Amino acid sequence: MATRAEISEFLAGAERRAFKQALFAVRDQDNALDIVQDAMSRLCESYSDRPVNELPLLFTRIVQNAILDFFRRQKVRSTWITLFSALSTTDGEDTDPLESLEAQPGSASAESAQDQVERGQVVGIIEQEISRLPARQREAFLLRYWEDLDVAETAATMKCSEGSVKTHCSRATQALAKALRARGIEL
Amino acid sequence: MNEAEFAYRIRQALDEGASQIDYTVSLRLEKARKRALERSSATAAAPLWVPALQLATAGAGIGSGGPAARSSWILRFGLAAPLVALAIGIVGIKQWQNDNLVAEIADLDFAVLLDDTPIDTYAHSGFGEYLRAEQASAM
Repeated sequence: MATRAEISEFLAGAERRAFKQALFAVRDQDNALDIVQDAMSRLCESYSDRPVNELPLLFTRIVQNAILDFFRRQKVRSTWITLFSALSTTDGEDTDPLESLEAQPGSASAESAQDQVERGQVVGIIEQEISRLPARQREAFLLRYWEDLDVAETAATMKCSEGSVKTHCSRATQALAKALRARGIEL
Repeated sequence: MNEAEFAYRIRQALDEGASQIDYTVSLRLEKARKRALERSSATAAAPLWVPALQLATAGAGIGSGGPAARSSWILRFGLAAPLVALAIGIVGIKQWQNDNLVAEIADLDFAVLLDDTPIDTYAHSGFGEYLRAEQASAM
């Protein structure tokens, strides 16, 4: 069973990555913070009796589930909003959230790309391109290569087959490399 | 460059990005972490089991999960059981009344069929008057 200090140390090391993953998915800082807070609470309340070596995988799954829950709530909310605002001029659920992201020139990522040094610019561009990836590709890529899960663990977390994980990762890599090349970045 | 090498370089960039998040964000993450840990401690410190009657009055404030959640189920079951018993009772009484009514009608039919008086007599308009006159003279 993990002690309070061990859980605290683990969360301190994992919370930033979790925040970034949530941010890539929901593209809103406050919502991403809410997701991470929710995930940390769930881990502490329900899994604090687990051994410390199980925490990384558990926390990763909880974060992914929290992100999915967020999108489910958004979908329900947008359904009600659509029902009650028939006269609004929005394009509906099919609107690409990236459009609104790009329409915000004062966003944190845009500012950092302008104000920081070259390395910071590259990091910012990489993060932007990762957030542009299709959700499942991004999820598979980040779980495999950032969270260090193996293919089986990634498949279990994403509730899909191992073959799908490999396909998602491969496509994500190709799409990311192509997008970065198009922006003049060679890794 | 193969997929693993490419992913490794992306990972380095992601790590760098994660280490450079805003101070306000890292502060909020730290607060969220402490809050989650405090909640975990509170849950661990709560008794594993509390008598149902005590929880019925005081359990609501303990929080979600654990004994409080169990108590709420017990409380709900305790409230629902008398309602279910009442519903079953009402249905039973209704059934019993129906059975009585059917039995009474059957007795009446038997009496009519077994009586010496022809059935058509009961439909005759003067038969009622005859019965009333008979009852009056008997009294």
